[in-house]
Amino acid sequence: MAHDLGFWTLQALNALQLSMLLFLLSIGLTVIFGLMHFVNLAHGSLYALGAYFAASLTAVGGYWMGFFLAPVVVAGIGILLYSGLIKRMRKSGPMAQVLVTFGLIFAMLDLTRIFWGDLALAIEVPALLDGRLAFLGVEYPTYRLFIIVMGLAIFGALAFVLGRTQIGAMIRAGVDNDAMAACLGINVERLFFMVFCFGCALAGLAGAVAAPLLSVTPDMGLQILIPTLIVIVIGGLGSLKGAVAGSLIYGFVQTFGAVLAPQLASVLIYALLAAVLVIKPVGLFPAKG
Amino acid sequence: MFRHNTLRYAVLVLLASAALFQAFTAEYFGLEILTEILILAMLVLALDIVAGFGGMVSLCHGALMGVGAYAYALLSTTAGIAPPVAMVGAVALTGAIAWAIGAICSRSHGIYFIMATLAFGQMAYSYVFEAPIFGGDDGLGGIARLDLSFVGIDLNDSRSFALFCLVVLGAIYGVSVLILRSGLGRSLTGVMHNEQRMRALGLTVWRVKADVFGLSGMIAGLAGVLAAQHIMYISPGLLSWTVSGEALVVVILGGLGTLVGPLVGAAAFVVLKHELSAVTTYWHLVVGVILIAVVMSRANGIFGWIEARWGDRIERRLSDTTRKPEAKEVLGDA
Repeated sequence: MAHDLGFWTLQALNALQLSMLLFLLSIGLTVIFGLMHFVNLAHGSLYALGAYFAASLTAVGGYWMGFFLAPVVVAGIGILLYSGLIKRMRKSGPMAQVLVTFGLIFAMLDLTRIFWGDLALAIEVPALLDGRLAFLGVEYPTYRLFIIVMGLAIFGALAFVLGRTQIGAMIRAGVDNDAMAACLGINVERLFFMVFCFGCALAGLAGAVAAPLLSVTPDMGLQILIPTLIVIVIGGLGSLKGAVAGSLIYGFVQTFGAVLAPQLASVLIYALLAAVLVIKPVGLFPAKG
Repeated sequence: MFRHNTLRYAVLVLLASAALFQAFTAEYFGLEILTEILILAMLVLALDIVAGFGGMVSLCHGALMGVGAYAYALLSTTAGIAPPVAMVGAVALTGAIAWAIGAICSRSHGIYFIMATLAFGQMAYSYVFEAPIFGGDDGLGGIARLDLSFVGIDLNDSRSFALFCLVVLGAIYGVSVLILRSGLGRSLTGVMHNEQRMRALGLTVWRVKADVFGLSGMIAGLAGVLAAQHIMYISPGLLSWTVSGEALVVVILGGLGTLVGPLVGAAAFVVLKHELSAVTTYWHLVVGVILIAVVMSRANGIFGWIEARWGDRIERRLSDTTRKPEAKEVLGDA
């Protein structure tokens, strides 16, 4: 194996692409947790639903229809979940929430099997993003570059909205102290609802984006759930900074671990998580102290 | 502290007689299901001790069970150690690993504890999956059952094995009750209710958590050893986090922190699973919907619901009939 500069650039890009995919999932989950203290294990299932809707919509109206509509449909499902289940579970402890959403995972897994069958679906990459681009001296698939750019763009947009706008200030106030924020006249309930829907839409988007890379299978939601949880626990629940840091750490440890120490790669990330929890039991950048 | 009341005794007697009836009347398939229930019951007892009485909701008990199974398989086949010694070794090893996990996670609470245990469970899963000595994806086969021929019992017969598991489960239940009634178990419940106060009273909180987690791990390890002996083949799927998740589901469906409830839950879960998968391949959907309904109803599982509804009434009626004379005396004094 020639470990020249190009090889490392390629691995770094792979790591970055994995990180961005995880970032899209974890940011929704972490802000929902930070704001609502709600543990939504079914977030991975929403991602799987996003991929399935994207696959179906692509078959009807081409890739871009799936790309833009799948998040909207998943957000719609998020609204249903919110009004049916999650609103009532808000005041319960983390245990009850974990269990209800665990039940949701079971239910949604079988519902996707009923509607779409057990066979894996595949989506073609659109012609615009097909092929490879020369980038930093390496040839890299355009579609993966697109994921990296999109992830960075969404990160930038979220950083701007959370850090510089009034609605961002309201969300940060809600994460910090929801009772006090409500006293200051912020409609915290409506804020929760909006953030939840937006988080669901991002999960759907992640599914739609991941669909052409991986095959779309019923258990893809279960497979992505554990990495997403690792990301938000390493990063610290509730913060944008934590989600970014956690995603990058996971992406790079996983990718470079597989290259440098193949025997240890799969254990490495869990060992890292254990180490973080021992040293900083609430993660690296928790939203509150 | 854990106490038996009339209802709990009644349900225990009912469950034990149902198991005995099944063990002596059922055919091969029924016996296999019975053994599956008994082994799952051991695992959920272990989980109920830490989750229901210590507030430590663990998502690594499935992995601990897998560690016990793999340790027994390797010790008895590759290392060639006699099955009884291998069993003791596997249980001790699982206990030690669980103690270490408990000690490391003792500072985390709530969702962080769940995630930390999940991480350790997944770590074990990936390691077993990757390392060649564990047979990787193919698993390990040719695992021998315990040889009890010197007392005239052939455990390779499924009826004897089911009865053996029933005896082991009874012993585990007794030990669990003893643990919960001991000073350690009482300290644990104290820690669950108010950790700060127990620390202020001079208790070494992390030691209590780690000790109970280790004991619970030994029970899970024993369940794993018996699971390996039951199927005589093991695969990494045994350590997957969904096994831990299902065990947690069983504890919740049965009734957290009641010790009897999880036994009811284990029986209900396995029977439901087999009945449903005979009818439809989508049994996960039904289990998921039932789980959501049970948690949303805010009842403490099947047994917790029964106990909340009828437990007190039964106690009162019994005490009314037995203590009537005393009540009269009190009236007379007044």
